[in-house]
Amino acid sequence: MDAIVIRDVVKRFRKRTIRGEYTTFKSELLRWLRGQRQPEEARLITALRGINLTIPRGKTMGILGRNGSGKSTLLKLITGIYAPTSGTMEINGRISALLDLGAGFHPDFSGRENILINGIILGMSRAEVRERMDAIIAFSELGDFIDEPVRTYSSGMYMRLAFAVATHVDPDILIIDEILAVGDEHFSKKSLAKMTEFKKQGKTIVLVTHDLQTVSNWCDSAAWLDGGRIREVGEPAKVIRHYQQALRLAEAQGTPLTAPALSPGGGALPALQGSETSIATVSGTQEANAPLPVELVSVDLVAPTGETGVVVDTEQGLEVRVGFTTRRPLSDAGFAVDIRREDGTQVYATNTFLESVPLPEPLPEHGTVRFVIERVGLSPGRYTLDVSARSSQGTAYSNGLQPSTFEVRSPIGGEGLVRPPHRWIIEPGAVPQRSAAS
Amino acid sequence: MIRHFRELYQYRGLLISLVQRELKARYRGSILGFFWTFLNPTLHMLVYALLFTVVMRQNIPNYAFFMFVGLLPWIWFSSSVGAGASTISDRRDLMTKVRFPAQVLPTTVVATNLVNYVLSLPLMLVLGAFYGVWPTWHIVAFPLVVAIQLVFTLGLVYIVSAVNVTFRDLQHIVQNLLTLGFFATPVLYQASTIANAEARTLLTLANPLAILITSYQAIFYEHRLPDGLPLLSLAVASVGLLWTASWIFESRREDFAESI
Repeated sequence: MDAIVIRDVVKRFRKRTIRGEYTTFKSELLRWLRGQRQPEEARLITALRGINLTIPRGKTMGILGRNGSGKSTLLKLITGIYAPTSGTMEINGRISALLDLGAGFHPDFSGRENILINGIILGMSRAEVRERMDAIIAFSELGDFIDEPVRTYSSGMYMRLAFAVATHVDPDILIIDEILAVGDEHFSKKSLAKMTEFKKQGKTIVLVTHDLQTVSNWCDSAAWLDGGRIREVGEPAKVIRHYQQALRLAEAQGTPLTAPALSPGGGALPALQGSETSIATVSGTQEANAPLPVELVSVDLVAPTGETGVVVDTEQGLEVRVGFTTRRPLSDAGFAVDIRREDGTQVYATNTFLESVPLPEPLPEHGTVRFVIERVGLSPGRYTLDVSARSSQGTAYSNGLQPSTFEVRSPIGGEGLVRPPHRWIIEPGAVPQRSAAS
Repeated sequence: MIRHFRELYQYRGLLISLVQRELKARYRGSILGFFWTFLNPTLHMLVYALLFTVVMRQNIPNYAFFMFVGLLPWIWFSSSVGAGASTISDRRDLMTKVRFPAQVLPTTVVATNLVNYVLSLPLMLVLGAFYGVWPTWHIVAFPLVVAIQLVFTLGLVYIVSAVNVTFRDLQHIVQNLLTLGFFATPVLYQASTIANAEARTLLTLANPLAILITSYQAIFYEHRLPDGLPLLSLAVASVGLLWTASWIFESRREDFAESI
């Protein structure tokens, strides 16, 4: 049996509740006096536009998506805090949601007293809380502070106590919203160990986070929520890759990243072309569905030794060879390169327009672009390299190829992003006096 | 209605804990602590006793005791409704982050004030003994009156707390109506002293609180059973009110998390 089955769930909010305007006697009177009746449709905001999602029992699912794509709304629906506007939700099992740590904490009460109330609010019985009291206190590592009022706690202590209670609820389904990073490194490790324990016990976990590393390490599957719809469900690594590609594509196209719920088309990210999976229902961007004029056929990274390896030395050079075909004659086309570290930090990006590289106009029907790096100069680590074709205005002419990855190795350690060419010189002699500036 | 109270029963552990916490929290940090439960109504009573026995003379024997009998249940009622109005709209932290039946919050307010009332009863009896007034067998009717007041107050607080989520003016309107209600209810004076007969009938029979307060006064002060007919009609009306209130509450409940 599946733990959570969501069918065609739509959730709309009335606009005044989003803008935080309350109905007051004055506002109602004024509206009535002016004879204003806004049409019902205009006052609604659709946060979820038809969600179908099944989460099997005992699996961990990560939910990705940019801010405002509906992740938290979905979690609140699963938890039962919101009711769906239409559609059905089927939840099998006791559910515990860690949407907010320390719900109902009272600052004047001791940690021990707050454990009781918070535990009951999260769904335990009084007897259960009393039974687990010692375990919770031990987990929180608060020691004697447990009998001090919570208002005297540091924020780290507060979070630790709240997290300790929340993880001792013993639910069948655990809903987590971006709170795994609690406390110092030691406590984070402990929290992760607790989560591992949950997984081993066969509990279902639904996790919303922007930490893609957590999703790929932790989750059995991932769902990408975009513009109020499920864009893709599947293997975490694959979903994450497509999500990142779409984000970069949106940046490259200059798509304004407004809050999706407030944009008319749902504010979905642009569609990816030619990737190996068909991506479910995307709407909003028509031009994304038309074939783009340049197709990048191949991207090869070639080390100076001639081997097409993905491992280079910092001091070595690297050549990128991109094979392309054009679908129609283009006179305003160029190529762009974007190098990023594994964690997404941009290392370097450039394009042929910036560097005024003369390109044949129009571009030949078939051809190869070579981007030659004389010396890599990067710190050891893994990097991605993304090549695309575009117009001088920034319009994407190509997409679809996954960024190539390569690894930089160096016999010398060194930290940071780059390794500029440098040398050390030591000169004996008197220390040059600096003028007394202070 | 049945679901409403079944959930309340399922979450009775939370209800009990919240009531305990409210009782403790109210006076936490103060030196006299729990004594304020007794001190507050006593000081309240002394102010009115001074006003009505020295400044504006009332010809009621044992005036302080008489007033105390009516003042205590009035405090229960007015504190419940006054604090109950904003009980849901003030708890955004709970309503938007955790799933639990919202009716626990207004119920906690009413229950906490009921406990406060019950705890201050010994004080009332001591004051009676001081005047030489001892309780008689008529107190058998007391639990019934308390039960009716409980049902009535619960019903009112459910409606007020649910409506206040979207219509915030209500909490201020309620406060002012309570002040009006205090003087329209025979707490400080005897209902029989209202000169105008029509006004007297209106105030004592159309005002549910007047029916309740005069019943308490009948039991403890006049040593007789309360008038049956008004009390029974109020009992029926209160059950009807609670029924309607839980229906209104349930139909508004799904909007709470979105509206606050």
